Formats: sequence, C-alpha cells, structure tokens
Amino acid sequence: MATGDVPALAIALLATGLLFVVLSQAYRFGARAVVAAWWEETHLLRVELTERVLDPRGLTDPPASGELLSTATSDTDRVGRVLEAASLVVAGTAALVVAAASLLVVHVPLGVAVLVGAPLLVGALQLLAPLLTRRTAAQQEDVARTAGLATDLVQGVRALRGIGAEDAATERYRRTSGTALASTLHAARAVGVYRGVTTLGSGLFLAGVAGFAGALAFDGELSIGELVTVVGLAQFVAEPIGLLGFAGQKFAEARASAARIAEVLARPVLTSGGAARTPGGEGRLELRAVTTGPLTGLSLTAAPGELLGVVAPDPRDAEALVALVAGRVAAEEVRGEVLVDGVDARDLDPAAARRAVLVEPHAVVLFEGTVRTAVDPTGAASDERFAAAVTAAAADDVLTGHPDGERRAIADRGRTLSGGQRQRIALARALLTDPPVLVLHDPTTAVDAVTEEAIAAGLAALRRGRTTVLVTSSPALLGRCGRVLLIDGGRVVAEGTHAELSAADAYRTAVLR
Amino acid sequence: MTAEATAPEATAAGPSTAAAAPPSDLLPTATGRRAARVVGRYARERPGLAVAALAVSIASAAAGLIAPAVLGALVDAVAEGGSIGGFLLALAGAALLAALLTGLAAVAVSRLGETLLARVREAVVARVLHLHTATLDRVRPGDLLSRVGDDVARVSESVTTGLPEVINAALAVLLTLLGLGVLDWRLAVAGLLALPAYVLALRWYLPRSAPMYARERLVVAERADGLLGAVQGAETIRAYARSGPHAAEVARRSAVARDVGVGVFRLYTDFGWRMNRSEFVGLAAVLGIGFLLVRGGGATVGEVTTAALLFHRLFGPLGTLLFSFDEVQAAGAALVRLVGVVDLPDTEVPAQRPDGSHRPAVELRGIGHAYGDGPPVLADVDLRLAPGERVALVGASGAGKTTLAAVLAGALDPTAGEVLVDGVPAAGLPGRGLRDVVALVSQEVHVFAGTLADDLRLARPDATDDDVEAALRLVGARWVAALPGGTATLVGEGGTALTPAQAQQVALARLVLADPPIAVLDEATAEAGSSGARELEEGAFAATAGRTTLVVAHRLTQAVRADRVVVLHAGRVVEEGTHADLVAAGGRYATLWTAWRGR
Repeated sequence: MATGDVPALAIALLATGLLFVVLSQAYRFGARAVVAAWWEETHLLRVELTERVLDPRGLTDPPASGELLSTATSDTDRVGRVLEAASLVVAGTAALVVAAASLLVVHVPLGVAVLVGAPLLVGALQLLAPLLTRRTAAQQEDVARTAGLATDLVQGVRALRGIGAEDAATERYRRTSGTALASTLHAARAVGVYRGVTTLGSGLFLAGVAGFAGALAFDGELSIGELVTVVGLAQFVAEPIGLLGFAGQKFAEARASAARIAEVLARPVLTSGGAARTPGGEGRLELRAVTTGPLTGLSLTAAPGELLGVVAPDPRDAEALVALVAGRVAAEEVRGEVLVDGVDARDLDPAAARRAVLVEPHAVVLFEGTVRTAVDPTGAASDERFAAAVTAAAADDVLTGHPDGERRAIADRGRTLSGGQRQRIALARALLTDPPVLVLHDPTTAVDAVTEEAIAAGLAALRRGRTTVLVTSSPALLGRCGRVLLIDGGRVVAEGTHAELSAADAYRTAVLR
Repeated sequence: MTAEATAPEATAAGPSTAAAAPPSDLLPTATGRRAARVVGRYARERPGLAVAALAVSIASAAAGLIAPAVLGALVDAVAEGGSIGGFLLALAGAALLAALLTGLAAVAVSRLGETLLARVREAVVARVLHLHTATLDRVRPGDLLSRVGDDVARVSESVTTGLPEVINAALAVLLTLLGLGVLDWRLAVAGLLALPAYVLALRWYLPRSAPMYARERLVVAERADGLLGAVQGAETIRAYARSGPHAAEVARRSAVARDVGVGVFRLYTDFGWRMNRSEFVGLAAVLGIGFLLVRGGGATVGEVTTAALLFHRLFGPLGTLLFSFDEVQAAGAALVRLVGVVDLPDTEVPAQRPDGSHRPAVELRGIGHAYGDGPPVLADVDLRLAPGERVALVGASGAGKTTLAAVLAGALDPTAGEVLVDGVPAAGLPGRGLRDVVALVSQEVHVFAGTLADDLRLARPDATDDDVEAALRLVGARWVAALPGGTATLVGEGGTALTPAQAQQVALARLVLADPPIAVLDEATAEAGSSGARELEEGAFAATAGRTTLVVAHRLTQAVRADRVVVLHAGRVVEEGTHADLVAAGGRYATLWTAWRGR
C-alpha cells in the first residue's frame, strides 16, 4: 500500500462521504415509508375491529372487554410490525450478501471461515435465549404484579381508610415489591451471563479471524489494507445475522396476533335483521309465546301509552326478558315472536328496531364528555327538554352540586360520579331520548327512598302517553304502574295493579323490602 | 424537607391537557435537583452497591478498549514482519477479561438501580396510601393512579433496560476519547471535531422532539380511551343506535395517532441523517489527520487503524446516548413526579387500636360544612349517639347524609362544630383521633385483588382462617362455600368477579375483623337488587350489632330496625324519633314511609 498519496486519500474520503449520504438517505426514506405503511395498516385494522365490535347487528359471544382492547391495540401493533420485520429481512440479507462477496473477493478460505463461523456463533448464543426468556418472563410477571397491587390498593384507598388498614396495605406492598426486586436481580444475573458470554464469543471470534488473517498477511497472501478490511468485516457480519433472528421472532409474534384479530372479525353477527321499518311508531310491544333461556312460553303486551310493571323474582327471568327485547339474543335461539307495532322484530332493520324500542341496560355506561352530552348524546334537545328529563330523573344535584353545572366533565365512563348519580344520569338520558317504547331494568337500585319516590313521580309524568315497561321490584315504581305482571318459571302467572297483587303472598315476597 | 417541592404543575401531561383540570387537582412535582438529591440519599444508604457499580462499569468499558489497541499493534507488527502469536494471546485474554467485567457490570448496575427503584416505589405507595383525606378528595383519581402506575412503570423500564445501556454508552464514549488521546492527542482532537456537529444535531432535535413525543403519548392515550369506551359501552351504544358516530370517533382518534406517529418518526429519521453527517465529519477528520501524521512520520499505520477503529466504535454508544435522550427525559419527568409524592409532609401518626369491648358515646355538636366556596351542605347539626345505639339517617340525594357520615368517621374536617367521643373533643383523642375508633363502610366498595382471605386480613393482619370464616359467616356470605377454593379463591381484578352485593358483604366482613367501637355505614346496601339488598341488610345488622352505629339508610327497613331515625333535609335535621313515633307524627318521614311501601 502506498502511504502518503493525497489524491488517493481525497478520493477515499469522498467515496466514504458518498457512501454515508447514500446509506443515510436510503435509511431515512426507506424507513419512513415502512413506518408510514405500518401505522396505516394498524389504523385500518383498528377501525375494522371497532366497527365489528359496534356492529348494530350485534356480535355472537363477544370477548371480554380487556381482551378486545388488547387485541385492538397490542395485536394490531404486532401485526403491523410484519412490515418492519420484512424490511429487516431484506436489509439483513442484502448486508450479508455484500459482506460475503467482499470477504470472498479478498480471500476464499478466509471468507468461507467467517461466513460459516459467524452464524455458528450467533446460533450458539441463541442456546442461552431460553434461560433469558424464562427469567425475564418471571421477572416481568412479578413486576406487573407489583404494579397491579399498587393500582389496586390506590383504587381501594377509601375502603382501606374506612377500616384503618393503610399500614397493613403498605406492608403488603413492601413485601410484594421485595419479591419483585429479588426476581429482577435473578433475571439480571442471567442477563449478566448472557452479556458476558456474548462478549467472550465475539472477542474470541475476532481473535481467531485476526490470527487467521494475520498469518495470511504475514505470509504475504493479504495486504495490510485487506487485513484491516477482513477484521472490520468480521466485526460487522454478526449484526445482519442477529437481525434475521430478530425478524423471525417478530414474524412468529405477528402470526399469533393475526390469528386473534381474525378470530374476532370472523365472529358471526347476532341477528342479520331485515330492511323493514316500524310502521307507525305508536309504541306497541308484544311477546307471543316466547321460549328462550329461562323463559317458557312468555306472552305479554305493552299497549301504546301504557306504564307496565314487570316483577320477576328470579333475576334470570328478568335478565332474559330484557336481553330479548334489547335484541341481544340470537334469532335462532328464540321460539315465538317479538312484535314491535305488529312487525316481527326479526324483519326489522336493527338500528330502526333500537330506535323503536330503547332498553337502557342495568349496568350503566355513560359516554364521555359533559353531563349535558352524556344525557343528550345527539345534542339535539332544547334546554327545556334537557332540564325536564334531568328533573324527572331527580338528577338535578349532579349539575347544581358542581361549579361547572351541565358542563361538568364526565371522565372515565362516569366513574367520577357515585353509583346513584350514574344511574340517574342514565335514566335522564333514556327519558330525553323519548322512544316510542322505553324498557327500564331496575332503574333505581342505587338511590335512596326519598329520591326513588321523586323519580317514580317524574318518570310517570314525563312518559304519560308513551309506552314504558318497568322491570323492577320497587313498590314506589310499581305503585305508579297501571298494570303489573308477575313472572315466575319463565311465564306470566299473575296480573293486576300493585295494590291488587299485594294481596298475593308470592307477589308480596317478591317486592317486600 | 418540602422546601424544594415546587407548586403542582402539569409538566408530564403535555401542554394540550392544561385546560382539562386546574393545577390544584394534581399532586406536587419535585425539581430535578431535589429528585437527584433524594435518589443520591438512597444511594448513600447502600454505599457498597454504588461504588461497586461504578468501579466495575469503568473497568468493563476500559477492557473494551484493549482489543482495538491490540489489533492496531498487530497491524503494525505484520507490516514490520514481526510475530503475531503474542497479540493473539492478548486478544484472547482481552476477550476473557471484557466478558467477565461486562457481565459483572450488568449485574452491579442492575443491582444498584433496581434496589433504588424498589425503595422509591415503596415510599411512593406508602405516602399515597397515607395521604390526608382532604388531599385525597382534592386530587384527581387519575393523577394518583398514574403516579403509582405509569410513572413507576416508566422509571422502572428505564432502570431495567435503559440505565445499564446509557451508563455503558457514556463510559464507552468517555474512555474511547481517552484512548484516542493516549494514542495521540492530535487524533483525539480530530475525533472531537465531530462534537460540534453532534451538539448541533441534538440542539436541532430536542426542542422539536419533546413536544411531539408528549403529543404522541397524549393522542395514543386518547385513542385507547376511545377504544375502551367503545368496547365497554358496546351494548349501550347499540341500544341508542349510536354505532356510527362512536366508530367514527374511534377512527378519527386512531387516524390522529397515526399521523402524529408518522410525524414523530419523520423527525427521528431527520435526526438520524444529522447524526450520520456528524459521524462522517469525525471519521473523515481522524482519517485525514491520521494520513497527515503517518505521512509526516508522527504516527504508524497501525496507530491510525486503531484510531479509526476506536472512532468507529463510538458510533454505537453515541447513538445510544443521543437516541435515549427522549427516554431519559421521559424517565426524568416521571421520577420528579415520584419524588414529589415522596416529599409530601408526613403527618401520619401510628394507629392505636382502641379497647374493642368499650362502646363509647359520640356527639356531633353544631356541625356545619361547605365544600370550598360552595353553599353550606350541613348547618347546625346536633346529634348524639348513646353507647351501643343504632341511628338511621334518612334523606334525599344531596341532603348532606354522606357529608355527615364522613364528618363522624373523621374522614372530613367540618368547617364548623366539633365531634366528641365520650365527651372528649376529637382533636384531643390519642393516635389518629376519630379514625382509630370509627370504621366507615361506604358505597365505594372495592374488592382487593388476591385471595379472599388476604383481602379480609387487610383489616386485621393477624386474623386466623377461623376468624376470617367466622366474619364471613356473620355477614351472611354463604356464597363463599360455593367458591372453588373457599377463602383461598382469587378475587378482584384478574380473579373471580364478585357481584356488588357480595363485594359489600366482603366490606362488612372487614368491618367485623377491624372490630371498631363505632361504625358508620353509608349506602352500604345501595348497589344490590331487592333480594340481595335484604340479605345485605341482615349482614349489616349483624356486623354492627352492639357497636355505636350510624346507618345512612337507603331502604327504610333499615330505619325500622334502628333505635332512632334522624331525617336530614337540606343539611339540617328536620325530624328525629323512633320509626313508630315519626310515622304517627304524620310528617315528612310518614309520607316517605307510605311511598316506600307502595300505594
């Protein structure tokens, strides 16, 4: 090698600079394109999953919400990473081919030795991976448990306060944290061993290559420049091999995630429904000899404008009735007919059916926003109607007891409100929607006796002339109903006013407090 | 101790959430200096760990420099036709040494970082669980949860994966520059020529990246919130035929998160380009200066080879350092939030368990209360509970029942009046005052994750299995027998889900184990349907038998069974007497009773 050649240096530096520019720009724009595609793909998957979950036709056997959430976030992310993994495969393979070619050009036996040795080394190091995975998994589990315990204790801090258990809870956390620390350190030792072995392996490999190449150079088979090149390449060649292993792992994860997403998307709809609209919207709800779940030949009619009470001592009967009317039961599991204004509910367009018959679920979910938007999601109601619905639900204190009034924020699906407040806000929402048929299931379980009486009065007044079905055992509500049905064993066994039925033992037991 | 804890501020939440809540809703945040001092204090408590971690890390970084130096010497030896056997032995020895020290350094740094982290998280949780009730009421629940949850997780992740790497990288950079200097100071200067380019790249990147990363966290959280809302509320959304708008909202949030995410990565690649330029400046300088030195006879080809190899070795750790700047910033932001909590004044005194057999009298005298500048919630309430007496409190939502219960339980300091126990004002009581003698079971039931027995033992850690089972039996929790593992069954988050009524029974069983002389039950039967409520009522009656008890009665059957009924209206006591007296009197309570029984 001629040392001291200025033009040669300039050319070499220029070439290196050019290489830097090409590599850097290739990465810059290539990676951008891959990442943009990845975000777009995960976005589309997320939208598709959401639409599937919210399909007006319902979802057969819906998965638990936590599971769905992790499918919609982590699983879509992992599937999207396939694109990243694919680009790594391309990059890793290209780098390997170039390195191999350069080495083989310099010296064939040396190149072969490096190209065989490097994968062997990377493969041997992978033998330690299971140990690492096992310890890391145990450690992550312990750390997650510690985090879960902290969250859990803080969520229940008022319960702890109430019984003076703060110290006991602190002590429990300290113990769990100590366990997590021990297992983290246990995992750290495995990481230490892995790092040490990796360093040793690559160090010895380098020594071997340097020895081989040095001996060749000593014998004059390699130039000094070639020696430097070989040593540099030997250091580099392990990197793309590692990349390929990493990509393989990503592919495996993505496949499992893709299977979970496909499984949710493939779930059949609950009811396909028809195209029919309700004819008049007069508000007649009729069940004819319906048999499903615990219901055995249930027949009942809520006439237009009627306030009908339904008492079901067995909560499973009540739940089955409400689920059926809400369209949450698959059509093939129902014998008999559900008629809305004389039209079979199975022939109705699902969204139209929901608009004709509104069932406010007992498990209250409030939409985020303000009290105003929670009560009036469409934003169409006038101030007067809004105030009337809130007053009828005896929910005025939710607004007046807060400086922001109707603009009071509802966060975290209403968890900042008390159970009674949530229940009354949901009731106000149902009343404001003003559907032809309104079905309420135990709407006053979380409110006190005084408020319950106020709700009974407000509800009856506001729903006058509209069909309302109250599935409840509250005497305050039942006392306002024009007619009450008692359901036992899945069918109607008695009918009359609350006062008339109160003479019967079975009824009294059901509504006795 | 809190001198350096600044006023609460919404630093970590990002600028766009500033409008969401007034700052008084957040716990304080410490200054960076204060956080460093607190962590330093913890580190000094374990001097051995800190010194070992530092020493082994430096040694490990130094050992990493041997190989390039030997390779350079080997190149020179070959060029001069010398023997290379010794160099190979040195290379092998260097590999062995570096391996040993790298492994030890990883363990030592983890041991130090993880031990400190455990200390900090334990202190944070202890302080949050002991927060003054007034603080607890004021602070947003989300802030509390994110301190013990996200903030701890973020610091923890950095300590576990980031800290060893950042320390290794920093030391590698320092020692490599030192190695260059030892080799030839002129080569070191050449390497340092890259420094201004790096600084420029960083100064370009940081001000742009910090707000973008904050925004990314925000929009991703909003997306998760939207998804969770849609998933959990699917049934309600369908009931109100709102699938379209809700799906569109989730899609909108997802699209915003996508656009921000792509933007963040775009910035990152621009930074990468600037980093690469800096690397080239440095490498070209080393090669150029080396060329001149070799030509002038000031250095050998081997030395310049070593210098180039050394400089090339800098790319990795420097990239690690620069790209982890965000990570370090984020972890720092979380750490100051943790130290802010640790630094809260500790006013808590140890609990003193009172004599369980004594039943004291309690008196509320002239109690008045208002929340902040709001209207009075309670006014002039006088109420005396005789030893062992059961009083039912009746009234509409907003009448002040829950506030009065909180005052009696010592969970709330009233703006006027005082509470006396056996004639002694609460302020003069030993230990934690009212809170040591009163237990409060509220509507906010919570089943703690873990076994059912562990949940109950929070009330009395030394309770035997028999105690636990007896308490559950007393409150009528017959369903325990049907659980797969009895009291050893996992319940709460991640375990068997209990119904609200069962959760209330668990809360009542805790009360039995805590065995307080005075009990306050607020809405303790509210969440159950009617048949469950009846059972709960029995359980509540049994759990409080013989105790001086105030029951906020949702169901009037509770009032019927009480020794005395107090009717609260608009913050004042309007009727008081036995159930029979009040019904006979034909007042507000009598009207209520008629409605309750149904016409």
